[in-house]
Amino acid sequence: MLKKVLMLSAVGVFVVSQGGLALAAGNPDTGPGCGLGKLAWENYPNQKTIGAQVLQATTNGSFGTNTFGISSGTSGCTNDGKFWAEHKVNAFAALNFENLSQDMAQGHGEHLASLATLMGIPADQQPAFFAMTQEKYTSLVTAGETSPVAMVKALSEAVATHPMLAQVSFKK
Amino acid sequence: MGFRFHRLGPHGRFRYLWFPLLVAIFMQAGSPSGWAALPIDVSYLNELIDRANEAHLADEREWHVLLHYRPTLTGGIKSMQDDPGFFLSPDGKTDSYAELAATLTKFFSDDLVGRSKQPAQCAFVARYYWLNERLQFDERRLPPQPCERFIRWFDEFNAAAITVIFPVGFMNNPSSMFGHTFLRVDGKEQTPQTRILAYTINYAAQVPPDAGLDYAIKGIFGAYPGYFSTIPYYLKVQEYRDIDNRDIWEYRLNLTPLQVRRLLMHTWEMGNAYFDYFFFGENCAYHILSLLEAAEPSIPLLDRFPLYTIPVDTIRLLRESGLVGEAVSRPSRSTLVRRKRASMTAEERTWFDRLIRNPAELEGDGFRALSPDQQAFVLETASDYLLQHSAAGGAEGAPFRDKNRTILRARSGLKVTSRDVPVEPYIKQPDLGHGTSRVGAGAGWRNHRAFEEVNIRAAYHDLLDPEKGFTPDAQIEFLSVALRHYHDESQARIERFTPINILSLAPMDSLSRAPSWKVNVGMQTIRHNGCALCSNGVGSAGIGAAAETQLFKREVYFAFAEAEANYSRAYEERHRVGGGGTVGMLADMTDRWKVMLSGSYLKYALGETSDDIRWFVGSRYTLSQNWALRLEYNHRDHDNDVVLSVQAYF
Repeated sequence: MLKKVLMLSAVGVFVVSQGGLALAAGNPDTGPGCGLGKLAWENYPNQKTIGAQVLQATTNGSFGTNTFGISSGTSGCTNDGKFWAEHKVNAFAALNFENLSQDMAQGHGEHLASLATLMGIPADQQPAFFAMTQEKYTSLVTAGETSPVAMVKALSEAVATHPMLAQVSFKK
Repeated sequence: MGFRFHRLGPHGRFRYLWFPLLVAIFMQAGSPSGWAALPIDVSYLNELIDRANEAHLADEREWHVLLHYRPTLTGGIKSMQDDPGFFLSPDGKTDSYAELAATLTKFFSDDLVGRSKQPAQCAFVARYYWLNERLQFDERRLPPQPCERFIRWFDEFNAAAITVIFPVGFMNNPSSMFGHTFLRVDGKEQTPQTRILAYTINYAAQVPPDAGLDYAIKGIFGAYPGYFSTIPYYLKVQEYRDIDNRDIWEYRLNLTPLQVRRLLMHTWEMGNAYFDYFFFGENCAYHILSLLEAAEPSIPLLDRFPLYTIPVDTIRLLRESGLVGEAVSRPSRSTLVRRKRASMTAEERTWFDRLIRNPAELEGDGFRALSPDQQAFVLETASDYLLQHSAAGGAEGAPFRDKNRTILRARSGLKVTSRDVPVEPYIKQPDLGHGTSRVGAGAGWRNHRAFEEVNIRAAYHDLLDPEKGFTPDAQIEFLSVALRHYHDESQARIERFTPINILSLAPMDSLSRAPSWKVNVGMQTIRHNGCALCSNGVGSAGIGAAAETQLFKREVYFAFAEAEANYSRAYEERHRVGGGGTVGMLADMTDRWKVMLSGSYLKYALGETSDDIRWFVGSRYTLSQNWALRLEYNHRDHDNDVVLSVQAYF
């Protein structure tokens, strides 16, 4: 029972923060899956659990339509440019943290390849990226356990200082 | 607008001249501010409505598909759509001409309509596209709206193709027993490795989070609204593959770029819409088909499902319609673990079993004596197992997550790529399984009386049906009836009637300890207390356990504790209630031949005090995908029944 109350209140916070942002943005627009992009990841007090909540919510079918509704005027977001692209990476990292950890440890996998693609790393550079994440597995996952955003930041920094990957210009 | 127009002509084509007139009046009355700036070209609107009516566009299939009109029993039409905002005419739900005229009228306005609050041209972009195609709008007289929101949304998909996704049935959640279907919009730059980044188009009932047992009833009778949403595929993969442990089948559709575009345009319109969700009829699979009808209206799909829609039947229909291309599977996490573990050497398996309990053992010399390649494989499989058990999240998952960290840290230290094991899902391509309805005809003897029997079952699968494409060791029977004709007294009767009979066997092993269970409600014919053929109502439920061996081919053993209530005039006091147990086994003798044995003992303490010993021996031989032979022997208390039948699936 307590667990349920906690979950519901957490989802409540989630909805409120969404509504607040939609107002602030003043642009009732939707991209597919755009609801996620509007989350203020930096300000969210407990980023680690967002993934589980969104998943809980979409799993029981009661929430997915709010977050991922089509052309619904109330749950919009801006979907253009850097803001959105960056949040897509963070959302993906937060929602797939466990699968990403596994892929990083084994140095390959579809979640890692997808993250690399979202980060704009070209296909021919991805093997080097995979090897780097395996090399730095422990520090990346430690960062990720604090917050997925921190992990993405650590990844970007690692790419920027990597002798080969740094040559590649990728979308930040 | 609370008044109704009388029909003036045979097709009522003249009555819609009223619309522009009314619009003009409202404009004068000082409605939304945008209007004054946009003088509406009433004569062009009238011309368009006239041309549409002359061509009877409102009777055309495309229009009916876009508005979700279905014929009614009284010869009219009615849209399945239940959101009033989906219609631009107050009579739109039942009047296709009124809706078409109102739609054309609204195209001249930048008024925000529907739940999505956009100009009509943008909110109903598929209608606009089709009407423009048919009427060739003059852009100077009917200026097109920019529809930036739609364009951004559409571009974000970067769509190249559509794939139907089918997570197979899931016995531990009644609402998922038949599986689920949704669409994935495959991007142009997508690779097999980045499929999870694609968006899906999903239709689901919106159930309040506090829904209790009434959920089932309301879900069946349409009390919940169903909405479309575009959830990223990686979340759906987590939901079905990681949490529910369901194998997923992905069917790529052969659609042209234009068909893909039409499908997405109509999906965008669905942002203004909801349908009342009916678990059996207008369910996920049904409305996914309705989107595909919008992609290609010339292929009728919904007509094939007038009463109920089983997801796998919709995939079979798509295949028959030539729309299905390549099919690939995405095995569930538990399938991954089982297949990988089965491929291990005895030594590797021992280490796997030890590490999932105590990962610290990997530091010992024993494990490090394996080759790096073997170590990597064992560690990866152990991680899969631990992820499987932590997937549901929360406090229960925490110990598994911690163990997984230790395992993965060790794995990251091994700079090798582990061997690639092909992982076959346990459920073979579902659309290649037998049809979900069944008829049978047979003959036999009951206590030396000869009979013929015909039987029919609406859905879906029992333990002896050919298992290809179905969840192994699971039985779901809905609406099954058997009629018999007994020779000697020329007596015909309803021998059995089974509204619901569900049974799930979950073989236990070192990886899983799930219980088996069964529920049955129905009527059968018994011989009891001097009544030779008496109808007997039965309700029963049981819980038990199952185990599996592979001595011969594959054998499953099961045992149930169960409670049962009977109602029949054959009993003293007309009823009896009791409990007991069943043990049995299922065995695959060859790929085509399957045998089932079971025995039960039940003791009835309430009503008529009595007991019952039953035996069943059944044998099935598969002739082809949709044909099978059966020989079944039933014994209960001085009552012996043997029947040989041929079964056809459709």
